[in-house]
Amino acid sequence: MDLTIFIVKSIIILAVFGISLLIATYSTYVERKVAAFMQDRIGPDRAGPWGLLQPIADAGKMFFKEDFIPAQASKWLFILGPALAMLTALMSSAVIPFGDSIRFDNYDIPVQGIEINIGVLYIFGVVSLGVYGIMVGGWASNNKFSLLGAIRAASQNISYEVALGLSIIAILMMSGSLSVRAIVEQQAEAGFLGWNVFTQPLGFIIFLTCAFAECNRTPFDLPECETELVGGYHTEYSSMKLGFYLFAEYINMFVSSAFISSLYFGGYHYPFMEQISNALTNSLGAVTGHNVATAIGTAAFFGKIFFFIFFFMWVRWTVPRFRYDQLMNLGWKILIPLSVLNIIVSASGLLFNGMKYASWLIVIVATVLAIMSNSRAPKGQVSPQRS
Amino acid sequence: MKPIEIVFYVLTGITLLSAITVVTARNPIHSVLALIATFFCLSGHYILMNAQFLAAVNIIVYAGAIMVLFLFTIMFLNLRREDEESKTNLTKMAAVVVGGILMVTMLLVFRAVQLPAVNEGNFDARTGLVEQLGIMLYSDYLLPFELASVLLLVAMVGAVMLGKREAGDRHF
Amino acid sequence: MLPIILLSVFGIVLLFMGFLKSKVLLLPATLVFILAALATTFMDWGKTYLYFQNMLLTNNLAILFTTIVLLSAFMVVALSNSFIEDEQAQPAEYYALLLFSLVGAIMMISFENLIMLFVGVEILSVAMYVLAGSDKHSPRSNEAALKYFLMGAFATGIMLFGIALLYGATGTFVVSGIKSYVYTNAYGVSLLLYMGIILLLIGMLFKVSAAPFHFWTPDVYDGTPGLFTAFMSTVVKTAGFAALFRVLSVSFVGVYSFWWGTLAALTCLTLLIGNVTAVYQTSFKRMMAYSSISHAGYLLIGLTALGTQTKQALVFYSLAYSLATISAFGVLLVVSRQRQDTNGVNENFDAFNGLARQNPLLGFVMAVSMLSLAGIPLTAGFWGKFMIFTTAADKGIYWILVFAVLMSTVGIYYYFRVIIAMYFREGAAEPVKVAPFYRYVLIAATILTLVLGLAPGLLEGLV
Repeated sequence: MDLTIFIVKSIIILAVFGISLLIATYSTYVERKVAAFMQDRIGPDRAGPWGLLQPIADAGKMFFKEDFIPAQASKWLFILGPALAMLTALMSSAVIPFGDSIRFDNYDIPVQGIEINIGVLYIFGVVSLGVYGIMVGGWASNNKFSLLGAIRAASQNISYEVALGLSIIAILMMSGSLSVRAIVEQQAEAGFLGWNVFTQPLGFIIFLTCAFAECNRTPFDLPECETELVGGYHTEYSSMKLGFYLFAEYINMFVSSAFISSLYFGGYHYPFMEQISNALTNSLGAVTGHNVATAIGTAAFFGKIFFFIFFFMWVRWTVPRFRYDQLMNLGWKILIPLSVLNIIVSASGLLFNGMKYASWLIVIVATVLAIMSNSRAPKGQVSPQRS
Repeated sequence: MKPIEIVFYVLTGITLLSAITVVTARNPIHSVLALIATFFCLSGHYILMNAQFLAAVNIIVYAGAIMVLFLFTIMFLNLRREDEESKTNLTKMAAVVVGGILMVTMLLVFRAVQLPAVNEGNFDARTGLVEQLGIMLYSDYLLPFELASVLLLVAMVGAVMLGKREAGDRHF
Repeated sequence: MLPIILLSVFGIVLLFMGFLKSKVLLLPATLVFILAALATTFMDWGKTYLYFQNMLLTNNLAILFTTIVLLSAFMVVALSNSFIEDEQAQPAEYYALLLFSLVGAIMMISFENLIMLFVGVEILSVAMYVLAGSDKHSPRSNEAALKYFLMGAFATGIMLFGIALLYGATGTFVVSGIKSYVYTNAYGVSLLLYMGIILLLIGMLFKVSAAPFHFWTPDVYDGTPGLFTAFMSTVVKTAGFAALFRVLSVSFVGVYSFWWGTLAALTCLTLLIGNVTAVYQTSFKRMMAYSSISHAGYLLIGLTALGTQTKQALVFYSLAYSLATISAFGVLLVVSRQRQDTNGVNENFDAFNGLARQNPLLGFVMAVSMLSLAGIPLTAGFWGKFMIFTTAADKGIYWILVFAVLMSTVGIYYYFRVIIAMYFREGAAEPVKVAPFYRYVLIAATILTLVLGLAPGLLEGLV
């Protein structure tokens, strides 16, 4: 490999790594600010202007706390748990395309950790491994609550992974590729209305729901449900090991947001990208213009990511937690059949005249059914709960 | 040695080491974790053979789902205490003899066998990628592929049939 | 091809029929489904077809084996009327699993590609693991399922390894492709081929419970509910031998000198272990398990002495063995259920005491099936053994012939213990009742055994 490409790649990878950490750090701050805003409070405001140094103060506190390992714990696995959680969280951002490409001299280097033709599967593989960090840590703590939290996490992740995988098959059928970049470019080709969120509304809703469950975020944060399990899988953890778990959750949130943005919201594509990019290359020259256009695309992508991170927090502070059986019923009895239906309808739409918008049919039918059943139900009466 | 050969030997070494740990580990959890490591190494081998799709699916299905369920079950059983050895010496001897004979036979065969020379010109870089695999599965191997769904259905029906809680059974 | 599709679809239909409140329809529906599959099997009669890029090959031999398998399944299902009354039973699932397992059996019979063999073996085995454990509240049934599953999965793994090595040696999964490889490289076949043959044989011999891979058989047959034991010992064995015959007679006939010695030794071991151990059993069901091992030995003689007569002998022997085994298990089911002792169902020899006096029909059915299994003249079993022994004589392997005759005299001893118990011992006075349809099935099986015993030429020239 050419040395220049190697160096540029290393810089990109390091930048992705650094940005993941930075965003995760400030997500903790934003989370508290959003919570405060939702609850009409001020939130952290002591450390630095508007409390901006709060995450650094938190990290410092984490580092200087006593690093405690319970006597009956399995020591190496106890350490391995948070390490695994952090490792898998950081690995998944490697294949996400953050922008088009950077040009200089004769080089044309994509703004992406690594471009592989099975990018989507890579992310799925890494996400499916994420649960090991929780399971190993939960078991090694030798604590009933930790174990229960770990087991909940495992069953929840496995259940929702199925629907997660099924929900994007329709996208794969449209793009004909497993590469994330190819999926983004396929959306960019068709313009703003070609974004998968408009062609695959149902798939998007299912994917979003499952992404919440995979990140163990409210309303699916059963593994760390305080009212039932004390602290869940990290009950016994303290110091930076606990910090790693919490941090891994925020990194996962960032990666999920990036993945959702690239799969359903056109990635680094934004409306009128073609025209703007052409105008820039015409005025600034082929190289500089292209690079500036790439930068605008990357900025747009980060805008989408920030929106979804905000969305994650918004949901956390507005929606209550599910009960465990409700969680399982939703996953197995609603999301999986719906995603299979989505595959069938989308596939038949593509088969006949390449109709991309067939998925709307299900959404319309479902909405009509919901309205009908709602209007038929007697008003002011709660339907009896099934046992 | 070519760099790819170094990668191969290192990977093979780790694979064998973790596979041996699976069998020898006293604690079942360590055993399962070593098995997961083995699956990772096998995925590495798949990538070396240009079967990227297989590598990813191997990790998603085996390491990501099946082994999680293994771990899940073992955690529930909480097999921390080592079970007493229940096999007699005779059984052990017999196992050693049979396994040894099998291993010696295989070693002899693999040493003696003449593998045909590889023609690098014939190599198609797209072999093993998703598209080629899909075309293969849906054309030449369509029938076994479809009938494998009967196999999965049988396993599923069986699991539900055996696992279903009946009236009068204990609720955990 | 058509029966595979039909049975897969019918299995799913049966699962949906399980939603119905009434279970009455399930049994007749299953019987109709099996008959429909049987009818479509004969559509290819007299022709040789290759389906789906060398995946399946149907010829008359495959059709005959399929017929035997479907006939056995039909009789087993016809004897299953007790499910309807049983509160614990889940008949829809049982029948669906039986139909799916038939899909696997037909794949094993008519495969042309080793992948099909593997998938077929797995479908059949997985369904059998589940059915072995279908009596959920009985520890013996659970034990049977677990043992069968663990050992079966291991054997399948070995078989798959063998298939992989065969692919490595020949570069093809197709049975006839391996054959042409063996013929073109007659003096320099890759050693991997030999290793592959051995491992594939180990896997298959496990499935047909030949010694020394028979250790699971007694426990599994004993613990499994009786009806499914009958299914296991007929359908699985017939399909297994059909698969073995196809792979040995087509692919590996060119290296006959390599494997026949091993197979001959295993044959003798199987005959010895099966027959001698059966003598010491007190439970009829365990005796039948060892008897099924010994019959695997007789069938292996036909494969060891692979020749032109082998296929006819295998077909006839499998048919005779299946008929006799199913009627024996049919009688055992009725008797054991109605003569319970403190341990629940009584499956020992003493359950049959005085049976001939209280219910002459059941006594006669049992006697004929025992005579047929022992190979006494005027029954189908005699001609089956005769044909098998003829193949060995044709090939000139006389020592195996002498040994087999010796072992079948041992067999007479334990088969006659049942007859003696039924006709010469005093037993409980209360009569044994049999449902009408049940009776017809047993009578049909017995008549078929006798007809084949009197006129063995009926099946001649079909293959």
